[in-house]
Amino acid sequence: MADRLVVVLARCTDLRAEVDPLSGAITRDPRTAAFSASDAAAIEHGLRIGSAWGARTLVVTAGGVECEGPLREVLSLGAEVRRVPTRGSYVDELATDERALAKSLVAAIGGRPDLVLCADRSADRGTGALPAFVAHELGVVQAPGLVSLELDGEDLVAERRLDYGRRERMRVPLPAVCSVEAAGIRLRRASLPASLAAATAEVPVADVPVPGPAVRVLGARAARPRPRHLPAPTGSSRERLLALTGALLSHEPPTVVGPVAAPEAADALLEFLARNGYLSEARTGWTVQ
Amino acid sequence: MTDVIVVGAGPAGSAAALMAARDGLDVVLLERGPFPGSKNAYGGVVYGRVLDEVLPGWWEEAPVQRWVTRRSTMLLTETQALTVDFRSTDWGQAPYNGCTTFRADFDSWLAGKAVDAGAQLVTSTVATGLIVEAGRVVGVRTDRPDGDLRAPLVIAADGVNSFLAKEAGLLPRTQAKHLTLGVKEVLSLPREVIDERFGVRGDEGVDVELLGCTRGIPGGGFLYTNRDSLSVGVVVSLEHLTAAKVRAEDLVADLKAHPAVAPWVEGAELKEYTAHLIPEGGYDHLAELSTPGMLVTGDAAGLCLAAGIWLEGVNFAIGSGLAAGRHARSVIDSGDAKPYRKALEGSFVLQDHKRLRGAPDLVLSERVQQRYPGLVADLVQGLFTVTNPAAKPGALRLLRRAAKKNGVKLRHLLADGLAGGRVFR
Repeated sequence: MADRLVVVLARCTDLRAEVDPLSGAITRDPRTAAFSASDAAAIEHGLRIGSAWGARTLVVTAGGVECEGPLREVLSLGAEVRRVPTRGSYVDELATDERALAKSLVAAIGGRPDLVLCADRSADRGTGALPAFVAHELGVVQAPGLVSLELDGEDLVAERRLDYGRRERMRVPLPAVCSVEAAGIRLRRASLPASLAAATAEVPVADVPVPGPAVRVLGARAARPRPRHLPAPTGSSRERLLALTGALLSHEPPTVVGPVAAPEAADALLEFLARNGYLSEARTGWTVQ
Repeated sequence: MTDVIVVGAGPAGSAAALMAARDGLDVVLLERGPFPGSKNAYGGVVYGRVLDEVLPGWWEEAPVQRWVTRRSTMLLTETQALTVDFRSTDWGQAPYNGCTTFRADFDSWLAGKAVDAGAQLVTSTVATGLIVEAGRVVGVRTDRPDGDLRAPLVIAADGVNSFLAKEAGLLPRTQAKHLTLGVKEVLSLPREVIDERFGVRGDEGVDVELLGCTRGIPGGGFLYTNRDSLSVGVVVSLEHLTAAKVRAEDLVADLKAHPAVAPWVEGAELKEYTAHLIPEGGYDHLAELSTPGMLVTGDAAGLCLAAGIWLEGVNFAIGSGLAAGRHARSVIDSGDAKPYRKALEGSFVLQDHKRLRGAPDLVLSERVQQRYPGLVADLVQGLFTVTNPAAKPGALRLLRRAAKKNGVKLRHLLADGLAGGRVFR
């Protein structure tokens, strides 16, 4: 199994970019370029799974030279790194053809990975479509929006959120593209000797086509939605306050339950939710007995 | 094999790393923030001439916001303002005098010079303690896994609340009376508006120091022009601020609302708010500058000059850092820190502190802080108020009247004048 490959496609960008409130111009500081929490979670998942499989872990980032500092930090964690050069400005990046970017990233991987990990969303620009494009390019399945990803023997077991607070656990067939949330996992810190060793290491730049624009940008300016015309409020300020707060209206008194055992308390809670329309069978598929 | 560990990539640390690396030593520069300057708060003017010798022509590339060509000192009361305003075109050309800058930019630039010279910068790494063997500092512990780092010399440049200097017993336990709290707002304004309001052009900038704007809490205010923003804030005695139960941001709000200041900041938008402790104890409360295996520099040693008309810190940090780096090899070879101490004594760093050792007590005294601004403002208002049909009162009478109104006895005025003369001679 020594030839297995885990790839992390991580976006590195200024997480605290300044937006001029008047012009909408965006200023990005290369010194604060970093991986978002989701990207960092993807990298940590990649390191864990790569280590468990005895596989190589490769972190690929599309971006400028400002990404090299964070990539060196990843290098000091024992992963391989590669950078895909991109076009310069933020507007250029916004206009980038996401599918062409996916092609460039896949070309930069230079092999067929067993698992590709991405963040579930990018911090600054993404449409969320990149993992799907990557899965398409590789011809593999995609599992988006995962909150946990664990190995069960050779299988990959993932969990993701569903509506109404429910979760879904599933086995992910490999190879696959998985995008993860920053949930319950934090990127490890490199040891000091590793960090010192990686500080001056060269970050390989992939010799792949720089993804071009999908659209032609004619101009960029701050979004200025038209103001909505709202009718002037009626009634006195006291009346409006009373209407807003419901201070003098009669309310259903609070329900006191218990002390009762946990099953009775759960029944009371479910009954309350059903009574108020939160647990209708049509919405949840559940039947309250 | 690391020769020198420099803790803190501020001006002192980067200057030390620069000189030690140039001397061929293997230097590791540790910085707790993600990049040098990222953890810094500074609202002042940087006087960079100390760099002339080591970075000739530094002004061509340093990340300067504006060159200070106009310096004003304002005495404020609630309703009055007296300004002493000076400007010089000499300060607007090389080699310049002082500049406004953002420390995140300046510190990054200076640390870059150290890296160019061969120092190895490690960011996001906190030095959590010293490694001491047989009474000698032999390295530092960091918050990284496997984070011990050893070297024959550690240079502590870890700022005003230096944990390393404290652990080594060089810095006494924090005493609030020797610290001030600086709070600063950066307010965004279009460049042309700043030029118009402050009467400057191009890269010219203004440094305004204000006294009497802190509700009687010892300290003062400041306003500096950046390229397209203003830095406005106050520096106040930590001890008195606590006793007064006043929030520092309320003092900044007061300052911005003062009739003499409000027109300058009108329409500006808050971009950033920062606060920082400043060591203002002066010469008598400096840290011990060394222990076997370790030198202390910059704010960590208390090397910040707050002497009324001189408010300087970065140049003292750089000066002490340069001395530490320059003498690192001889300190390592001899095991004796005397060359460092001697270098500081022979330079402006300790000479200025020693000469102005009485300044902090005088400048932060109750009369200078709370009574003299009102006295001077009342005296000047009396002189400039036309009292016709009554005849003009004499200046001495006005002085007596202003002194009485502000609770100052003329003998106190004389005594403080003599004290000031002795301090600033």
